[in-house]
This record gives sequence, structure tokens and C-alpha cells, in this order.
Amino acid sequence: MTQTTFSQMPGGGISRRPLHVLVLADCSGGMKGEKMQALNYAIADMIPHLEAWERDQEQAKVYIRAIAFATEPRWHIREPMPVTGMRWVPLDPVYKGLTNMGPAFSMAADALAPGVIERRALRPAIILITDGLATDPPGQFESGLAKLMDTPAGKSALRLSIAIGRDAQSDALTKFIDDPAVPVLVADSTEDIADRLVAASLAVSRMSETGADRGAVARRLFGLPEGMSGVFNQDTIV
Amino acid sequence: MTPRPPHVPKTVPVTPAPAKTSTTTTASEPEWQVVTATARGRSHIAHGLSNEDAVAHAALAGSDGIVVAVADGHGHERHFRSKTGSALAVRVACEAADALLAELAADPPPAAAADTWPFLIRDGLPPAIVRSWRDEVGRDIEANPYSELELTSLEQEGDGPEIPYGATLLVAVITGGWLISAQIGDGDLVAVHPDGEFSCPVPGDDRLDGLRTTSLCQPDPLDAFRTGARDLTAEPLAALLLATDGYGNAQASDPWQPAWARDMAGLAAERGAGWFAKQLPVWAELCASGEGSGDDTTIALLLGPASARNEEGGTWTG
Repeated sequence: MTQTTFSQMPGGGISRRPLHVLVLADCSGGMKGEKMQALNYAIADMIPHLEAWERDQEQAKVYIRAIAFATEPRWHIREPMPVTGMRWVPLDPVYKGLTNMGPAFSMAADALAPGVIERRALRPAIILITDGLATDPPGQFESGLAKLMDTPAGKSALRLSIAIGRDAQSDALTKFIDDPAVPVLVADSTEDIADRLVAASLAVSRMSETGADRGAVARRLFGLPEGMSGVFNQDTIV
Repeated sequence: MTPRPPHVPKTVPVTPAPAKTSTTTTASEPEWQVVTATARGRSHIAHGLSNEDAVAHAALAGSDGIVVAVADGHGHERHFRSKTGSALAVRVACEAADALLAELAADPPPAAAADTWPFLIRDGLPPAIVRSWRDEVGRDIEANPYSELELTSLEQEGDGPEIPYGATLLVAVITGGWLISAQIGDGDLVAVHPDGEFSCPVPGDDRLDGLRTTSLCQPDPLDAFRTGARDLTAEPLAALLLATDGYGNAQASDPWQPAWARDMAGLAAERGAGWFAKQLPVWAELCASGEGSGDDTTIALLLGPASARNEEGGTWTG
């Protein structure tokens, strides 16, 4: 990670606090063709928005990681990559791949475990993008999600979900978000995916700012009613 | 070596540092020196928030001891009086340490238990601080009653009257050859050994996940205090750091304490308080800047008796 070092200061220099954005991208067989193309375009389009925000604010340095999941998950970007100057390498769908989310959550949990993620990191953001219902065998979705929520960073993460198509707006996504105040962002068409990801990136960035009125930002971005902003309240007492 | 019991102290004048970069040094308790600095966080400036940290230190008049306190008012909107809460916290911490020593001097433990006094202070400090802080908060509310809007907000959140004043607190008392420490909430208390190793004078707390913190304003603050007592004659220190989380969150290394302590032990051996008095405001400003944590940053550095005494143009009394 980039560091600024001052020779007069003890220690290893100073740097901004890391803000990890973890993308969980559905690469099941159903994503082939136009959907996958739109997803790749949308993520590539989101990056400059996060990059611009990183430049404008005074607190965080944004790092991107990505898990591509189908029947099994795999790291698409394993090491946190600074958003500044990064180029998105397109994802490919897995032929006849299923939409097993549990193992992807488990993989994310490993990356966010104490001692792996920095203690000083801002609360991370996890963006789940899928076009279908979870196909996990019984108990697998729940155990993967439980593992993620057992990590302090996973539990406190800003968890957002983008459903590609109304049919993808499932209970599984609601369970993943685990907050009635946060809606599933539905992309009615492939053209909508980029817009929803931009909304997600705005949520990630604005909610991470110290002193931001997170409730107001949530209401503005997601059209939530007054008082519906629980997940964004932080920096307060145990 | 038998610990030196504290003498009867007089009233301690406490002067919290102003909410801007400032430095102060004093000398007491065989040549321990205190240097402090605070800086408003860049993100606080961007959002029109003031510096909600506070720092105070005082000589314990009757004992040649010193007490140093650092506090961080919570930034969340629920804690809209946290700047006052942190200022009250450092003041009552210094007063509580002084009062405890006075009580102990007036009513010392029996001879058979004479060496228990550091632990009596250790155990007595949190309840004394909590009691005084709550009293002071009550007085502040009387003097500055909540508006109707604020009362409605408290009711909606289900918050008690202390919640708006929420703050963390780190306290170090050095007296009679002992270091007595107490901490509630996040921030860093780091003891630097002469060989460059480090240790933490109080136990850790898994509840501090970087997002939420224990606090003086919570319903059960005594359960959240972490305390320690250390015999400095058996285990001398080169320096002691008390810092709000704006400092640790700016450090690039993870964990940052090992390299920091190694460097600090070297600096303490080579440089005097005058040099640190010039450096600390710079460190605080850098950590609070947009290249660091962007958060309010307050540092209190205590330099041990073995630290260098060459002053290099700095001004301090000692």
C-alpha cells in the first residue's frame, strides 16, 4: 500500500485508512452473453466514481477485491487493489455454473477475518451482484452467511445487493443485507446495472465519511423514509 | 525497592489544552516530563465539526506525581455534546487522581498492607471518575438545558441524558515509582521500554472493533474500564504514549507499535523534551491531515527519567 513517510516521526509513516470494497459477482451459466457484458461494463464504470471520491475526500484510500462465484467461488482480484489507476479485467461466466452463494460468503469471511483485515480499516463494503436465486444445497447458504457475519468486519460491513431482473430479488438477498432499511437494488434491464452500481458506489463512499449524515444520504440514495437508516449509524457506543 | 507512598496533595490546577495544536511540558515525579499536542481532523474541518478531543495534565502537588488524561468525544450525531463530555472527562480524571491520593495520605492502608496503595488507586480511579463525570454532566445540563428538539431526539433514540456527552478516556498516573493506568474506549496507551520493546499498560478489549467504542456515557461504564498498575522501579520505561484513535488510525504499519516503540526509545535516548515539544504538534497535524486518519488527533507523550536532557533550543521547565 502507498505510504507517506516522515523521517522525524517514529514508526512506519502515515497513510489514509483503507476502505475495502469487495465485489461478489455472479458468474453462473445464466449470466452468459449480454448480462455478463453489462456487468463487466458496469463494474468498469463504477471504478472512476470511487476513484473520484477517493480524490475528493480526506479520510479513506479505496481498495477493490472481487470474488467470482458460480458452483464454486474463486478470487478474481485476491489482493486489495488500489482503486486509483486500476483496470477491470472482465469476468467470464462458468459454463453450466450454478449460483452457490454460501461458499462465496465463506471466502469473503476469510478475507475479512481479524488479523487479515487491518484493525484501522474503515468498515468494508460488500456488493453482491446476481441474476438468480441461490442454488446452494440445504444449509450451505446459511452456514456461509453465518461465517461472514461472525467476523466483526463482515457483520459491520455495508452490505449492498444488486438483483439483475425482478426475479432475482429473493429472500436470500434480503438475508444477506440483513437490514430492513436497505433495499435490494433492482436492475430491471442490463442497462440499469451500471446505474445501480453507481448508486452502490455512492452509498459506499458517502456513508464512509466521518461526520456524514448517513441517514440523510441513505434516504436520498435509496428513497428511504425518515428514520430508516439503521445500518449507516456508526462511530457510536457499544 | 519499597514504593514511596504519596504525600498529601493540595488542590490540583488543571488546564485542558486548547482545541488546537499546542504543547506543554512539565517536570515532576523523578524527572518525568509531559508533552502534549492536539489537532483538528481534516474530515472534521470538511464537515464543520470542531476538535472533540481533550487533553489535560497536572502535577500531583503533594506527591511529586503527575496525572495525564486524554479523551475523544464521539463523532456520531447522538453525541452532540461530546466536545464538552471529553473536556469534562480529562478534568475530572485529573481531579479524581488527586483526590484519591489525598484520601490515601489521610487514611493510609495498615502497615501490613502498605504496598497495596497503587492497587487501591487503580481500583478507585474508575468509580471516582464515573461519579464525578456524571455529576459534572448533570451540572452542565442544568446550566445548558436540552432544547425541545434535543429532548425529542433523545426520546426517539431511547438515550439517557449522558449519551450526548459520550467520550473515551485514557488516564496515566505516575507517583511513588508506580504507573497506574485506566482506559475506557478506543485510543492507545503504549509503554516504551528502554530496549525498544513495547507493552500495553491495560488489557485489550475485543469490543473495540474500530466502529464502536465503549464510553463514559454507556449505562455500565465501570464494566468497560481497563486498568493496570506497574512498578516502574522494577520495570523502568523510556516513554509512555496516550493518544486518541486519530493517531493509531493514521499509522501505516499494522501493527504499528513495534516499530514505533523502537524508534521512540531511540528518540527518547537522544532528544529532550524541548525537541519533542516542537515535534508533537507536527505529528498530530500530520495524523489528523488528509494523508493520515483525517480524525481529531491528540497525543500526550510522557518521557521517562532516563530520556535525554539535551534541549536543542526547546523551552520547558524542569
